[in-house]
Amino acid sequence: MKKLIKRLLVACLGLSAVLGGGGDLLPAMVEAHGERATEPYIRTRTVHWYDMTWSKDSIAVNDTYTIKGKFRLFSDWPDAAARPELLYVSAYGPGAVLTRVESRLNGLPAQQSFRGGELGRDYEFEITMKGRVPGRWHVHTIVQVEGAGAIVGPGKWIEVTGSASDYKQSLETMTGNKIDDLQTYKVADAQRYHLFLGAFALAWLLWWLRRPLIIPRWLAIQKGRSDLLVRPIDDKVAAAMVGVMLLITVVGYHNATQAYPYTVPLRGGWTKIPTQPLPEEKVRVDLTHAEYDVPGRSLRMRANITNTLDKPVRIGEFMTAELRFINKALPAAVANVTPGYPQELLPGQGLKVDNDLLAPGETRSVYIEATDAVWEVERLVSFLSDVDSRIGGLVFFWDEKGERYVSELHGPIVPVIKGHGTHMSM
Amino acid sequence: MTENDREVLRVAGLSGDTARWSRTFDYLIIVVAAFLVLAVTYINFLLLAGDWDFFTDFKDRQYWVVIYPIVQIMMAAAFQAVFWTLFRLPFGATASAFLFGLGVWLVRYHSWMGMAHFPLTLVVPGTFMVGAMILDGILTVSRAWLVTGLFGGTLFGITFYASNWIVFAPYFQPVENMGQLSSLADVIGYVFPRAGTPEYIRIIERGTLRTFSDSSTWVSVFFSCFICIFMYMLWWLIGAFACKAASVPTGDRFKLLFGMKPAEATK
Ligand SMILES: [Cu+2]
Repeated sequence: MKKLIKRLLVACLGLSAVLGGGGDLLPAMVEAHGERATEPYIRTRTVHWYDMTWSKDSIAVNDTYTIKGKFRLFSDWPDAAARPELLYVSAYGPGAVLTRVESRLNGLPAQQSFRGGELGRDYEFEITMKGRVPGRWHVHTIVQVEGAGAIVGPGKWIEVTGSASDYKQSLETMTGNKIDDLQTYKVADAQRYHLFLGAFALAWLLWWLRRPLIIPRWLAIQKGRSDLLVRPIDDKVAAAMVGVMLLITVVGYHNATQAYPYTVPLRGGWTKIPTQPLPEEKVRVDLTHAEYDVPGRSLRMRANITNTLDKPVRIGEFMTAELRFINKALPAAVANVTPGYPQELLPGQGLKVDNDLLAPGETRSVYIEATDAVWEVERLVSFLSDVDSRIGGLVFFWDEKGERYVSELHGPIVPVIKGHGTHMSM
Repeated sequence: MTENDREVLRVAGLSGDTARWSRTFDYLIIVVAAFLVLAVTYINFLLLAGDWDFFTDFKDRQYWVVIYPIVQIMMAAAFQAVFWTLFRLPFGATASAFLFGLGVWLVRYHSWMGMAHFPLTLVVPGTFMVGAMILDGILTVSRAWLVTGLFGGTLFGITFYASNWIVFAPYFQPVENMGQLSSLADVIGYVFPRAGTPEYIRIIERGTLRTFSDSSTWVSVFFSCFICIFMYMLWWLIGAFACKAASVPTGDRFKLLFGMKPAEATK
């Protein structure tokens, strides 16, 4: 008896130990909205989203809306993140509350991932989503880069109204089969089949469990009478079970191949992104000094700006980590903000610049200041504890005719800690 | 109670109250063992096969077909070894497959559909119940683990793919999506977005297998059979070894509880 208990316990313990034991039985649910947790060097120096539009703020179940925009793969991509050799473009909310109807990158279907993202270039995307679960959802565009992780774009609330049970996604296969609802197609068949097999399994378990079990069988083995424990009838039942299982498999497989003679394997390849011409920087921005005033929550920069155009330009916007600091003195820049852009990403004080009118061919040092509590709220100030402590973003210029020019800005940044004052001003 | 049952009880020296007590003990053990078998099978699968069986559009004809049976035959073999060595009960594999199926469907409903809003079409699980019952059947008839490993292991690998194709064939119908040829499974994965799971994370037919073209599934199946045989043997031995170890002390009180004299019980 002692031996039996010991062995039972040890067998169980041994097995669980071998497996490392414990752990969570449920799959780890990756929730969205890690946007503020993402490292600032990722948010300020990898993917810059701009010209974003959302066709609607509110849709009914089964209605669609489209998110359009561009993103720049930033030239000063941090060394700590893998280069965008392989990337996937998408939009997501918390779970599949919205479904994807269509998505394109530079005009190509974005069902699969793309190879060959190039730094310094712009990519145009378009994603159409359909309402499925009613609620108010924060939906982000996202570029996932192999080795660097998820890089999210601006989050925008979308209201889905109606009833989830009305949702429907039907389609027709190339062999002419009409699928009424993609959410449930053939699920009942799968469950019936599993129940059918489960009934056999349960019957086999009960066949043994109904007899005197643990202690009597163990003692019988100890006394050398294991011959009693598996009877001739058990052999017959076991053989029949093997036969039935093989029969189910052969017949079932045959029927399945007859019913679906044309099947295709899962898609495996990736698409090369068609390269578009490198955007030419008509206005060059060379950062000479940047500092972040910790108590003042203010980013102050001085840059040598060269206008190579034959017309004057002014600074209209500085954008980084989806935050848009707008120069409110420039109507073209203010007009460039579409009404639907998330307010929390438009800092109230906007952008302060001094004497930013650049004559054709002129090179001049310009002061740029972006002050707002949003630096703290968005947890962006930890760039001060990075190993490379750099800042990056896009600067938008406008000429008198309202034409826009986009330039990259990047360089080292230093903190200004309380009591030491600033060594920079207008 | 059959004649055979009475004979077993007689040989074991249990009658009347002790027999009834032992039956109560059986029920207790069944509950505890069921939970343990489920948890161990599930955790083992999560650790070693990860997300290959989570999503319909992860079930490719190369890795899924190879990895699923190789991982599941481990616990099937180990539990067979434990239950057979200690009690001559040939149901370790079936118990593992049946309980795993129960657990998997529970999680599909609770977490995948309930918490992440995934439709069931995206998360239909595979099953190894057919292979498990074949393993148990062969062990019963042959009473030999080497024979079970050789024939059972082979059939386990073959029947996994064939018996699951019954469920999954419709999900591989050709569909046109944005002008591209896709399988229905791909489209389901596309329509219902997964946060944090970029497309490139799927490992679909990498390497030179594609050169086998249409027969590549069967190449995978036979490779899987081959590995299953050795996996079975390895894990049978691990299970059997676990039965031999003896280091947990059990006192005389415990034995007395079952109406046995300590001296007799260890005889
Ligand atoms: Cu969000």
